[in-house]
Formats: sequence, structure tokens, C-alpha cells
Amino acid sequence: MTEENKLASGNLSYMATVRAIVWKDLTMEWHTGQILSVMLVFSLTAAIIYNFALYGSLAAARDASTGFLWVTILLAGTLGLNRSLMAEQENRSLEAILMAPIDRSAIYVGKVISVIIFTLAMEAILVPIFTAFFNKPFWRPQVLFILILGTIGYVAAGVLITSMTVQTRTREVLLPVLLLPLTLPVVLAAAQVTAAYVAAVPPEWSEVQFAVSLVVAYDIFMVTAGFLTYHYVVEE
Amino acid sequence: MAERIDRMNLNRIVPILNWAAGIMILISLVVIFFYAPVESTMGNVQRIFYFHVGGAWVAAVAFFVALLSGVFYLRKPAKIWDTIAVGSVEIGLVFTSMTIVSGSVWGRPAWLTWWTWSPRLTSITVMWLVYVAYFMLRGAIEDEDRRSRFAAVYVIAGFVTVIITYLSIRLLRDIHPVILGEASETAQGLQEFSGIDSGKMVISLNVSVLTFTVLYLTWLANRLRLQRLLDDAAELKTRVMTRLQQQ
Amino acid sequence: MIKISGVTKKYGMNAVLRGVDLHVRPGEFVTLVGSNGAGKTTLLRIVATLMKQSDGELLVGGWSIPGDAEKVRRHIGMVSHQALLYGDMTAAENLDFFARLYQLDHRQERVAEALQMVGLLARQRDPVRSFSRGMLQRLTIARATLHEPDVLLLDEPYTGLDQEATRLLDDLLSRESEKGRTIFMITHDLARGLDLCQRIAILNRGRIARIVERQEVNAAEFLALYGDVTRSVKERKGAQG
Repeated sequence: MTEENKLASGNLSYMATVRAIVWKDLTMEWHTGQILSVMLVFSLTAAIIYNFALYGSLAAARDASTGFLWVTILLAGTLGLNRSLMAEQENRSLEAILMAPIDRSAIYVGKVISVIIFTLAMEAILVPIFTAFFNKPFWRPQVLFILILGTIGYVAAGVLITSMTVQTRTREVLLPVLLLPLTLPVVLAAAQVTAAYVAAVPPEWSEVQFAVSLVVAYDIFMVTAGFLTYHYVVEE
Repeated sequence: MAERIDRMNLNRIVPILNWAAGIMILISLVVIFFYAPVESTMGNVQRIFYFHVGGAWVAAVAFFVALLSGVFYLRKPAKIWDTIAVGSVEIGLVFTSMTIVSGSVWGRPAWLTWWTWSPRLTSITVMWLVYVAYFMLRGAIEDEDRRSRFAAVYVIAGFVTVIITYLSIRLLRDIHPVILGEASETAQGLQEFSGIDSGKMVISLNVSVLTFTVLYLTWLANRLRLQRLLDDAAELKTRVMTRLQQQ
Repeated sequence: MIKISGVTKKYGMNAVLRGVDLHVRPGEFVTLVGSNGAGKTTLLRIVATLMKQSDGELLVGGWSIPGDAEKVRRHIGMVSHQALLYGDMTAAENLDFFARLYQLDHRQERVAEALQMVGLLARQRDPVRSFSRGMLQRLTIARATLHEPDVLLLDEPYTGLDQEATRLLDDLLSRESEKGRTIFMITHDLARGLDLCQRIAILNRGRIARIVERQEVNAAEFLALYGDVTRSVKERKGAQG
């Protein structure tokens, strides 16, 4: 076939693709509620366990509460990620999506956005519960802000890694092994900032500056890495 | 470029590198133990510094090479890139382990503890874990192409831990000393190493880093040759099996 | 429209396709048959841009695959024997999603039209999980043709269909063919494959062994020919051993 005989190539809107993926994930969740229910049940159970684990020492429990919060987000997050990406795997729907004339990274961006939405929804429930159980002001705006920032980095790494692990033999087992070390930097830094801001005396900016910049830098790095490499994860 | 590396006659290069590494190790041992001056506050224990810093530096180089290999593999898949990545991660892990242990041993007299969860020690431990997990990822995938592809993506994403580790060494006040800056930029409390304070130390450090770099290249070359032998053996096996089946 | 030249595909040492040459002209309906494991699905997936060939040239709609794969995806639709649909969403939502992905105008109308065409308009608000095999296949065809692709690829579409669904599929395919779509179907059901197409190719041991025009043979002749082509190699091997 000669040049003139080529079928027209279309240029499609990137954001429209992202929106389609996000809308689809939200619709699926609306129908099944699987992701949120798994994350919520896990995190509520965890919160109760923590509460009673250090029942004897209220002070110790309060001190450890920030750590508990982030550990919960970390672990519940892997459950949510697994469910979200297994849905694509089970339906083999990814193939149909790949046949569409879309940028592969748009799938990544869409997935990251939808999982962030689910994780933030879970955190929105955890914040009042943790505030009540441990009597610490997790509702402070700076805390909420760092929660969001940390979640972004975590999910950015999470979607990339989970998209790989769902294609392996050992799936659910492999995910925490790969994801936990990789996301420790952002989670530890965010936890440090959280702890600083739920303390009785709010910290100086210079004290938290490094940790916050680390979280932001991690977010940027991970989103970029995922954006650039997702193509190679989903295509043969 | 992949083909050129592939074609390199490793059987000639490897022995040369082996000798070079051996000689450099001897030289640097002499330099570290006899040429480098005794440090004013810590005494001879400080000599671990040369191994510790040398190892840390080369570990970062190794992981960076792995990152580059990953990028090259994704752009144009060739087995050699995958092998370089695997070898570099293996060697990087060895150097990282050396760094952690030597750091702990060195710090003990000053910190009065073998370990503490300071940001820098935590970040290097996380870095170590991330690259150990690399092998778990590889082990879980049977298809060769997919294994190399995913490993490449992982090695790219994982590099963030290297950046964080080395940044935190430079930027944070910590129990762990900064050595390439103002001598006063050292932690509150327990350490007393006052930074590089003589030209001889700089030279000794450079010798050590150079030695470790040569060591890295030597091990990598050996690893490449080993992989080539393994691949050849596997291919021969398949050919023999096919031939036997045909009869 | 689809030009396959010397395409090979290797998995490690195992060569599934060993040099396939096939030219499907625009508007033509070509069926590819072959025994299981001959490599039919692999070839189709390569044409569908889901897989890359190890070697050889492939042109779809004038575009070279895999280099310009993104440019041609808009014009390809594939019907697999697996549904590739979201069981937990309704039929309408599934189609709406793909309409969004392909960024089609007048989404609502097109979805309704497509459902109407495959006779599923009444079930549009039911979750796909509850669909029978035949209904799933119909919905899959709706999804594959939603964006009016110039090339339709079918992978064993008749698998597991009952009589009514089979008839529906036949109707659909002849209608699509009349519209001028290029259709490339693979199947191991020799009777089905013969009816609708204009040419049949036989894939055997990774190569195109024979291509015949539909008009030149009847069903019985073709069956014999197929047996010949696939058997002769085995007989030759038998003679050796």
C-alpha cells in the first residue's frame, strides 16, 4: 500500500482517556463496593487492635498512633491496589483497552487517580476514628495535607508495582514484598511530618522542611517513573 | 551498542581485570594502613572510613549502571542489558552490605551502639531491601522477556531509594557524619570524626574509591562471562534434546 | 488492507510462526483455518497489535506494525472468544466505557444503536455477569464494531454458541461484510469458516500451506484438501521413523 492509501490516524485527547478510566473504576466500585469495603474493614479492625494492643499504657498508644495510622494506610493500600488491578486481570479487559488508540500512560494516570480517590476516602474515615481513639488532632489541616501528599506517592508507586505483580505467579504474596520497601521512604517521611503536627506544640517549618520536600520529591519521581515506564508493563 | 558489548572477548578481558583488581587491592591496603595519616580524634579505627565510603560510592554507581541498563533494555531489548542489570544489582548489594556493616562497626565506639534508626541508616537499609526485592520479582516470573522488562522497570523505580539515601547523607544532620563539607556540619552528640583534614586523606580516599570501582568492573565482567557460559550451556542442552527427540 | 510478509514469532527456541505470507484486500472476508497450536491466535494477536512479531513485515491499513501501531488501532476491532468485558457493569456501561475510550461522538445514541443491532437493548441495564454465552458474544461484537472499524478481527467467534446465537452472528458478519469492512477470521470449525468468506487460508506448522477461493471448492472438497495438507506432513514423518 502506498503512502496515500493509509487510513487516517486519529489524535485523541489524553485527558478524555484518563477521565474514561477513572469513570469506569468509579462505576465498577459503585456496583461492587469491593475495594472500599476491603480497605475499610481491614483498617477499622486494625485500629481496634492497636487500641487494645497498648491498652495498658495510654500514653504509649497515643505516641504510637501516628505510626499506626500510616501502617494501616500502607497495608490497607496494598489490599485496595490488588483489588483494583485484579479486576482488570480477571476480566482480561486490559486487552480490549490496549486495542483502543490510547496512550498507555493514560491508563496509568487514570488508575492512579482512581486509587488515590479510594485511598483518600478510606483515610477520611480513619482520621476521625484515630482522632477519637487516640485523642490526637489528626484533623489539623497540615496533617490532612501531608496525608494527601504521601498518598499520592504511595499510590503512584503502588499502581506501577501492582500492575506487574498481578501478572506473576505469586501475585498477592509478592505485592507487599515489593511495595513496602519501595514506599517506605515516602511513608516514613510523611509519618514524621504527621507526628510533628499532631504534637501538642506545632513544629517550626525548618524542622519538617526536609521531610516534606522528600515526600514531594518522591511523588514527582514516582509519578514520572510510572508515566514513562507503564507502557512496558502492560504491553508484550 | 548492545552488540558491541556482547561481542567483547571476555575470556581475554576477565583475567586482565582480575589481576588489576588484585593489584589494586594490595595497593590500597598499603595506602589505607600505612600511607593515610592517623586521625586525630578517633585513631586507627577511622581507617574503616576508606572502605565504608568507597563501598557506599561504588554501590551507588552500580545501582546507577543498573538503572541505565534498564532504560537501554526497555528501549531496545537485548539480553546483555538484562545481564548487566542483574550483575550490577548483585554487586551493588554486596557493596551496600559492606557499607552498612563497616559503618556499624566504625560507629560503635563513637555511638556506643551498633545500630540506630537515624534517617541515613534507615534510608540505606530501605535501599538494601528494595534491591533484595528485585530478586524476588525476578524469581516470580517465568517468561524471560517479561522478567527482564519488569526487572528493568523496577530497577528504574527503585533508584529513588538511592537518591534519597545519598541526599540524606548530604543534607541531614544526623548521627552519621558528613565528610565532604564543613567539619562542623556534624551531628549533635556522639560522633567525633572531624572530617577530612589532610591531603593524604583525600588521596587515600581516592585510591580506595578507584580500587572499589575496578573491583566492581572486575566482578561485573566475571558475571557477564558466567552468564554467557550459562546461556551457551542452556542452548546446547536444548539442541541436544531436540536432536534426541527427532530420532 | 492487511499485508503479512514473512512474519515469524518465536518463544525462546519454539517457533510458532515460521514465515507467514498473506494479503487480505480491502473489503475482503478471509478465513484462516488450522489445527490447534498451528499459530492462528498468535497471528491474529500480532495483527491486532497486541503482540509483536519476531521478524517480518506487517502492514495494516498502510501502517507498519508495530512501529505505527497507535495510528491504526482506531480502525481495528477484535472479537475474541473471551468476552473481555466487565462483568460487574451493565451492558450499556460497558459500551459507554469503550465509546469514551475511542472518543466517539453522540455516545448515548451510538451505544443504544449498537445494543439495538445485537438485540440487547432490553437488557442494557443488566450486569454483564448475568449474560449467557450467546449474549456475551453479541455484546462483544457490539463493542468491537462500536467505533466502525475498517478491519474486523475474529478469534473463534462461534465457540460455545447455540443455534440462535450462531445465526445471529452469521447475520451480523454478512452485514458487516456488505458494509465493506475487511474481515479476518480464524476458526477451527471448518464448516462455519467456509460459508461466509471469500477466501480461505490454511495455516499449518507456522506457515500458510494453501489459499483457496471460496467459489472454487465446495465443503466436501475443502475438507479433503484440509486433511491432505495437515496429514501429509505427519505421514512423511511416519515414513522416516
